[in-house]
Amino acid sequence: MRPEMRFAIGLALAAGLATSAYAADDTIKIGAPFNVTGALSSLDAPALNGAKLKLKEINDAGGVLGKKLELVIYDTKTDPTVIASVASQLINQDKVPVAFGFTDSDSVLALGPIFQQAGVPFITPGATSPKLPEQIGDQVFLACFGDNVQAAAGAEFVAGKLAGKNVYLLRDNSTEYTTLLAKYFEEAFTHNGGTIIGRDDYKSGDKTFTAQITKIKAGAKPDVVYVSAMPDDIGLIVKQMRQAGITQPIVGGDGYDTPLLTQVGGKASNDVYYSTHAYMAADSTPGIQKFYTDYKAAYGMDPENAFAALGYDTLGLIADAITRAGSTDPAKIRDAIAATDGFAGITGSITFPKDVRVPAKTVTMIGVKDEKLFLAGEVKPTFIPAP
Amino acid sequence: MNTGFYIAQQVINAISLGSLYALVAIGLSMVFGILRMTNFAHGDMMMVGAFGTLVLGWLGLPFGLAFLGGIAIGAIAGVIVERTAYRPVRGSADVTLLLTSLAVTYILENLGILVFSSSPRNFPIPDWMNEALQFYDGQITFTQINVATIVLTAVSLGFLGWFVTRTDAGLGMRAAAEDLGAAQLVGLDVNKLIIVAFAIASGFAGLAGILWAAQSGIVEPDMGFTPLLKAFVAAIIGGFGSIAGALLGGYILGALEVFIVAFLPSEVSPYRDAIVFALLIAFLLFRPNGLLNRTQEVKL
Amino acid sequence: MSRAAAFVATIVAVAVVAGLVAILPQLVNDYIVRVVIVMCISGVLVASMGLGNGFTGVFSLGHVGFVAVGAYVSGILSLSQAAKHSYLPDLPGWLSGITLPFLPATIVAGLVCVVLALVVGAPLMRLSGYFVSVATLGFLIIVNVVLINAVDFTRGARTFTGVPLETTLRWAAGWLVVTVIVLARVVYSPTGRRYLSVREDVIAARAVGIKVLPARLSAFTLGAFFAGVGGSLYGHYLGSFSPASFYMAYTFALISMLVIGGMQSISGALVGVVVVTVLSEVLRNLERGLDFGAFAIPPLYGASQIVLGIIFILIMIFRPSGIMGDREFGLGRFVKRKRA
Repeated sequence: MRPEMRFAIGLALAAGLATSAYAADDTIKIGAPFNVTGALSSLDAPALNGAKLKLKEINDAGGVLGKKLELVIYDTKTDPTVIASVASQLINQDKVPVAFGFTDSDSVLALGPIFQQAGVPFITPGATSPKLPEQIGDQVFLACFGDNVQAAAGAEFVAGKLAGKNVYLLRDNSTEYTTLLAKYFEEAFTHNGGTIIGRDDYKSGDKTFTAQITKIKAGAKPDVVYVSAMPDDIGLIVKQMRQAGITQPIVGGDGYDTPLLTQVGGKASNDVYYSTHAYMAADSTPGIQKFYTDYKAAYGMDPENAFAALGYDTLGLIADAITRAGSTDPAKIRDAIAATDGFAGITGSITFPKDVRVPAKTVTMIGVKDEKLFLAGEVKPTFIPAP
Repeated sequence: MNTGFYIAQQVINAISLGSLYALVAIGLSMVFGILRMTNFAHGDMMMVGAFGTLVLGWLGLPFGLAFLGGIAIGAIAGVIVERTAYRPVRGSADVTLLLTSLAVTYILENLGILVFSSSPRNFPIPDWMNEALQFYDGQITFTQINVATIVLTAVSLGFLGWFVTRTDAGLGMRAAAEDLGAAQLVGLDVNKLIIVAFAIASGFAGLAGILWAAQSGIVEPDMGFTPLLKAFVAAIIGGFGSIAGALLGGYILGALEVFIVAFLPSEVSPYRDAIVFALLIAFLLFRPNGLLNRTQEVKL
Repeated sequence: MSRAAAFVATIVAVAVVAGLVAILPQLVNDYIVRVVIVMCISGVLVASMGLGNGFTGVFSLGHVGFVAVGAYVSGILSLSQAAKHSYLPDLPGWLSGITLPFLPATIVAGLVCVVLALVVGAPLMRLSGYFVSVATLGFLIIVNVVLINAVDFTRGARTFTGVPLETTLRWAAGWLVVTVIVLARVVYSPTGRRYLSVREDVIAARAVGIKVLPARLSAFTLGAFFAGVGGSLYGHYLGSFSPASFYMAYTFALISMLVIGGMQSISGALVGVVVVTVLSEVLRNLERGLDFGAFAIPPLYGASQIVLGIIFILIMIFRPSGIMGDREFGLGRFVKRKRA
């Protein structure tokens, strides 16, 4: 076969497949690109699961504007080229008026420009880089607080409740999230008069942190160890630190919000504190209790991490915006999202200040005592490092 | 802190890490020795073994049995892969073998994601394994898992030593590693020997996977890939194809990784993997047969 | 092929591609156009990978390392002044002062890769078989570690963003044509025959006076140039990337295209790109689940990768030289085809 012919057949196949997607008019389509497989799937998949739960709730309650919602889900496979293709597919084929997805800034940055150009709003449930909206444009929103806010909250918590003055800073240097979080923490903590007495790096996926730990023990004794870590690593880090005799409080960000912290850490996870989006436990707010029960019923396990709840809230936020817009016109939905004021999500109330597309949310501080999570405080930081 | 204790602590860390690298590298080297195949899918047997133990645990088996079962499942998986994917391409060009194993990795990891999802899962271990042993006021600390790792590695090595020197199958394997064609000529059942080699290699990888999961507390579908890359380095440093070489290489690499972070300034430690792989390239260039292997034609 | 016929063939091919590029955006929607752009970029990368890996038989796993370098170099060069100030404040003065247009930035990226390939290749091209594969894999890992740690230049592990989105279908297809023409000129020339003899039998090649190292090194270096170019196209297509974009997953994607298509011909590389890309797109849409009304197939995310992996193995078993083997497409009845 000649290359042009193969090419033509390939195109015909792809095009045929594309048009075969039957579009029903009685639903409102919402784009949901997520990295269900690949390196980021452990964060993206729970967010999508959370969103599906909300979808069922909304549709069971009659939908939005008299129509059912429909999620147009694509697995973007943690591959930027697939993400760009899917972005275009959502806009040009599925013609979604709004979409949401991803938990990391790489993915949002690959998709964002295409949505921005098409004038279709996009909300990310979990990419916490506060720079994102300004990097891409006015169509992009965060449904979570920025890392600068949670790092500042962590810094104030360390200086206040934990009375820490000297902090040892350990960070994972292989992701944007952990490097930014560590940077914002240092800015906020030193601004408030604290001192970073030592710092070290590791790489996500490392299984032995003994070398880093031995170094912490060798130097001057810190009051608190701040570890900027990804969910997969934190249980192990905490366990190894405690085994090596580091008894000081360990503090970090929403990467800690995974059952692995207490499952893997066991009693080592006591005296660990972290900033996150919501207090997820059986004795929490009614909204979260319900979410917990429903998630377990639907998927046979506890929510893996906070992204599940954020995915749930993000779809809620979109449904709310469509209702207020009274239309499925992308521009009207965008304006309605931007005007969101006090949307009551289970991860906290969401308000977008004028011309800011990162919500002002209260940061929840969680602690661990007797291998159980407890609400250690709610912080609205006074000094927030610039994004 | 006392410098002597600091060094002693790092040496213990190095032996514990090195044991795991050695367990993986030995299997890699064994298969390479016989088939001249760089088996990228070897690391995935770690994943299979660890998930095997996890699932057997869910089914209610006590940890010890689940542990042995996990090793067996790893070994069986290795044999299945050999039978279905590797045997049809046996004897092909180096690159064909290498690429086939790459594709097997790709399939196994995605299969793992499909079945277990890619979220890491907690790997429960008995409490006694988590217990930390402290000496000299906690200046030297290690856990029962470290002890178990070192002991189990030693036991496995003892078994392997006995197997390759005292049993017919073991001697046959060595003959096959020496010269596959000649082994066939003198009437050895090469297919059977290769299956035995894969079973042992994959069983070792399964064991390493379970220990790795026990140390890290989690299992996930791509858990085998990084250790596999490190095992390549270990096997090549020691002499690719040599079992003793893989053992030596594993401990050297473990020591190197721990010492780079422990004794060099913190500006250097992020470059640890670069240093390790630069060492690999240096070995390939200047000592391609590693520390222990006999000479092979690899260079111009 | 005679010189005149080859010339005619080239002109015809270029005209066909130019025609397609001109009319495609009118015929299909932006999604399909994007898939075609990605195919063109992959075509540049896979064909250039095939030069070293297929024609000289030195199977490198480090090609994506050069792609990464190309993407970062061109990205740094074409970032606007404002973007440099906000994203790369610590860039040395001589770099922060310049902003190059797309074409020169791409060429510089390719040239940087050439220099790097000479430095890396001079020792590594002495190795053979799996040893060179493992060593070049080491190169890829080292590039990754350096990109993560050279924070002043690359923002480290954080996303490198703000690269102008300039890779249009015209640019991508244009570079693909240039790549194919240059590679074809090299491969079907005395130099190319030296490559083949080096691949088939190193000792015999030396016996007839062919210097093996220069042959391998020149192929490696030329391949690296187009890897750098492709990296620049990739960077200017997405506008943002990070070291993780250029690692094992991308390596496997490109290798599967090369191997499935056939690495001993340029046509093979292109066929592999088209087949794997179309297959991935189709499977990716199929795995979302099908609803036939009466019964439905639930979504099986990840199934597309597994199917691709199995096809890869089947090719290895039943057709180890890929779909095309060492055959090239001629232009059929337009030009009478002779074996080179």
